[in-house]
Amino acid sequence: MAALPRRIIKETQRLMQEPVPGISAVPDDTNARYFHVIVTGPEDSPFEGGLFKLELFLPEDYPMSAPKVRFITKIYHPNIDRLGRICLDILKDKWSPALQIRTVLLSIQALLSAPNPDDPLANDVAELWKVNESEAIRNAKEWTRRYAMDN
Amino acid sequence: MENNSLKEQPVENTDVNQDELILQQQRRIEKEISESIALVGEKEPLKSLEQEYAEDDVYLSKAKALAQKYSYIRRTRPDGNCFFRAFSYAYLEKLIGNKDEYDKFRDLALKSKDSLVALGFPQFTVEDFHDTFMEVIDKVGGDTESSHMELHKLFNEQGYSDYVVVYLRLITSGQLQRDADFYQHFIEGERTISEFCHQEVEPMYKESDHIHIIAMSSALGTGVRVRYMDRGAGTEVTAHDFPEGAIPAVHLLYRPGHYDILYP
Repeated sequence: MAALPRRIIKETQRLMQEPVPGISAVPDDTNARYFHVIVTGPEDSPFEGGLFKLELFLPEDYPMSAPKVRFITKIYHPNIDRLGRICLDILKDKWSPALQIRTVLLSIQALLSAPNPDDPLANDVAELWKVNESEAIRNAKEWTRRYAMDN
Repeated sequence: MENNSLKEQPVENTDVNQDELILQQQRRIEKEISESIALVGEKEPLKSLEQEYAEDDVYLSKAKALAQKYSYIRRTRPDGNCFFRAFSYAYLEKLIGNKDEYDKFRDLALKSKDSLVALGFPQFTVEDFHDTFMEVIDKVGGDTESSHMELHKLFNEQGYSDYVVVYLRLITSGQLQRDADFYQHFIEGERTISEFCHQEVEPMYKESDHIHIIAMSSALGTGVRVRYMDRGAGTEVTAHDFPEGAIPAVHLLYRPGHYDILYP
């Protein structure tokens, strides 16, 4: 395997030294391109109190193309489908090499604070979010309690 | 709780995301093209264009007209980055052996990082691209012959070549945002300049249009002449100078969707 690019080494060091508040991202012991991520559910969101596990992978041509990120913990959210895939423009056609892992993690955190049912990935969730927001939020809280909290 | 609707559902492998699939396919096609064409090729006599269009009257007459004005062509990989790659190669090539211009450009390049950071670009990533950009400039600042070889080598190493492209994209984006009032008029639709930059300028593989060329050449204080070769009427290959009225340091050939380098 080719040597790890300087960019990835520097990003990883910086993530360790100055972590994003509420998020931990730790490279795997055997694969420095694979990160174990834990995002704390933001305050005043239906995900508050939850700890959400994600996986983040830096593809071979990173940073020319975006990191691949997926929720491992189940989450009830209009922009995240049941396979954990995330609908976020900077992970797709708006990725720029000037962005970084940190930007991606912050954007995911922001997405938890502000779900966007008008640009859905999980259609049934988005639909409920639009027609009956309070029930959708109740579901999201229930899923958080069930899947993202210890016991 | 066995039958609760919130219970985890089995994951189906057939559940596919169309966007993702299209992106993947696009990438595969891009990769196939990539593997067949050098990032920056060797200098070829312009006759090679005439051979390419031996069966095509419209293009053939234009290739002949072009041969009146230019002697050589250097092809670049058609990966959407070709404008930035072709321009930077041709410009650095031109600066080799022109110490005054080279020093002026090196100085401008050196200072460009701080102005990008001041515009709000993240210092950490900008620095990374800037370091490599300066490294490339410094490596082609020696004696003429070795600099030409070095330039060709670096531009065919993806690590260097793509980093130069990224940095020029950032410089272009910076210029567009600095002069947003002016450039806003060129943007179609409801997009703001900064949205345009995030969608069409900063991401790799996005093709360049007039607006990219004007902004980049203005930022670098240099001129580009683009020769347009298409199916339009006439036998001439129209020239456009960017920015208007500037003396061109670099000549490029545009055929729909792609830029190559031209030499007198």
